[in-house]
Amino acid sequence: MSLQKILLRFEPKPENLLRVLKAVQKENKYIGKKECEQVAEYFSAPLARVYSFASFFSGIRTKKEDKKIIRVCSGGPCLSEDSSKVAHQIEMLLHIEAGNDAHPKYKLEYMSCLGLCDRGPVVMVDENIFEKVKPENVDDIIQSYL
Amino acid sequence: MQILTKNWHKIDPLNIDSYIRTGGYEALQKAIREMKPAEAIDEVKKSGLRGRGGAGFPTGEKWELAAKTPAKEKYFICNLDESEPGAYKDRIIAEKNPHQIIEGLLIGAFAVGAKKAFIYINGHYQKQDEILKIALEQAREKEFVGRSVIGSAVDIEIDIFQGAGAYICGEETALINSIEGKRGEPRLKPPYPPVAGLFGKPTIVNNAETLANVSYIIKRGAKVFSEIGAAVSPGTKLFVLEGAVKNRGIHEAPLGTTAQELVYNSLYGGGLEDGKEFWFAQIGGASGRLMPVGKLDQPLVYGKCEYPLGCGSIFVADKNADLKDLLFSWADFFHRESCGKCVPCREGTYRLWEIAKRLKSDDLLERDRKNIEDILWTLSNTTFCPLGNFASVAWSDAIKMFPDKIFNDQ
Repeated sequence: MSLQKILLRFEPKPENLLRVLKAVQKENKYIGKKECEQVAEYFSAPLARVYSFASFFSGIRTKKEDKKIIRVCSGGPCLSEDSSKVAHQIEMLLHIEAGNDAHPKYKLEYMSCLGLCDRGPVVMVDENIFEKVKPENVDDIIQSYL
Repeated sequence: MQILTKNWHKIDPLNIDSYIRTGGYEALQKAIREMKPAEAIDEVKKSGLRGRGGAGFPTGEKWELAAKTPAKEKYFICNLDESEPGAYKDRIIAEKNPHQIIEGLLIGAFAVGAKKAFIYINGHYQKQDEILKIALEQAREKEFVGRSVIGSAVDIEIDIFQGAGAYICGEETALINSIEGKRGEPRLKPPYPPVAGLFGKPTIVNNAETLANVSYIIKRGAKVFSEIGAAVSPGTKLFVLEGAVKNRGIHEAPLGTTAQELVYNSLYGGGLEDGKEFWFAQIGGASGRLMPVGKLDQPLVYGKCEYPLGCGSIFVADKNADLKDLLFSWADFFHRESCGKCVPCREGTYRLWEIAKRLKSDDLLERDRKNIEDILWTLSNTTFCPLGNFASVAWSDAIKMFPDKIFNDQ
């Protein structure tokens, strides 16, 4: 769907700005400069305001991401279910380090919280959520994304 | 004593009739047909209901403030943006009985005179978002939502608004900003939202669990409700037990129940898992204080108390828990979620996170010990909104209670 078509699904009212960004991201994977400009024009808002808004939310990406992003929850309840061992296993398996951006294909980050504390440890690969992950399951999850 | 969870086992969240069969929407009909808005507010006020999101502000007083502020338009927002590690009670309500929230929201909107209401839901709650959408659609078909609710002159439109992963948007003014298409940073108060909130109009922001209590109060009356739980904060509360307890998960208990009972009573936590020994409990999610064994007998209430109840999560750490991992977890969360508006929080949480990383890998520097104190003082005394203070709470307690574990003192 073209960007213009997505925009036309929404009235250019302030309360639709976040909705529009989410809808655009669903289609385009990220909200880059070009997308920001078009959204700003549609809402008759300054580009700086739209960009500052978009970049505020961790759920909105303003840059293209070529790497697989793997996130492991580091919240207390997930920790008590050994999420740090899960993170360590991923580090070993992919030869990466949490928070370090050096690997060309993968990135491991800590996150919290998806509100799934009763189903921890929680691991997220891009948009896909895995619950009750054990260190020994890590290999299977990673393999399915290679 | 069950108010919120009573009928959950009888209810199919995707079928409004199953809710109506348990007496659902009777309170809404009673409010609209038999009560004036001011009477509904008075009932909630007399019930003593306090906000269940953490701050514990009296709900009825909040409503009254918005009702008394003259304005053409008013808004009512249900806050379902919980995103603190350890908190998921609102998610469970939305999953098990979405109409309980919607009915409370409708009564609230009627009481303060709001024609437009929002449910602000955490962006990660996809499934719950869908459940609520279906529930709203069904409520609309039954004429509980939309123009002329149950044939009266009252119009209430409800819209779901999905967040996009920002913890700060659980703070009411930040939440309002993000709906307005502005960065989700908190506003200077006053004016408080009930006076000037969304688009400058009087706005009520209530936690989802708070609203889930409203239908019970309207139906059974303030007196019945006010006799449940503690005198300072009546009613029941959804407690979330996690960590080393046997029965982890959601437990409804009257306010005023002690942490001792919640953790050890077989009705609730059922004690610690086999072979584990109690070390401390964190009361109220990642922003909560650490409670040692000697304080377990304190009643948990809203209002003045040593260990604020917050969202009602209780995390039990056993003697084998890795404190350094936990300290890192707290610092990591708050540094990621600091909105960046004020320097003490933006810098403080970041520096604390750097120190936490060193602590985790046992590379603590000589200067860190003093810096931790400085940072914690700054966070708890100088930040713009309470969330900066939250970042320091658990750390401050840990430093006081277990310095030997942190600094490897002999």
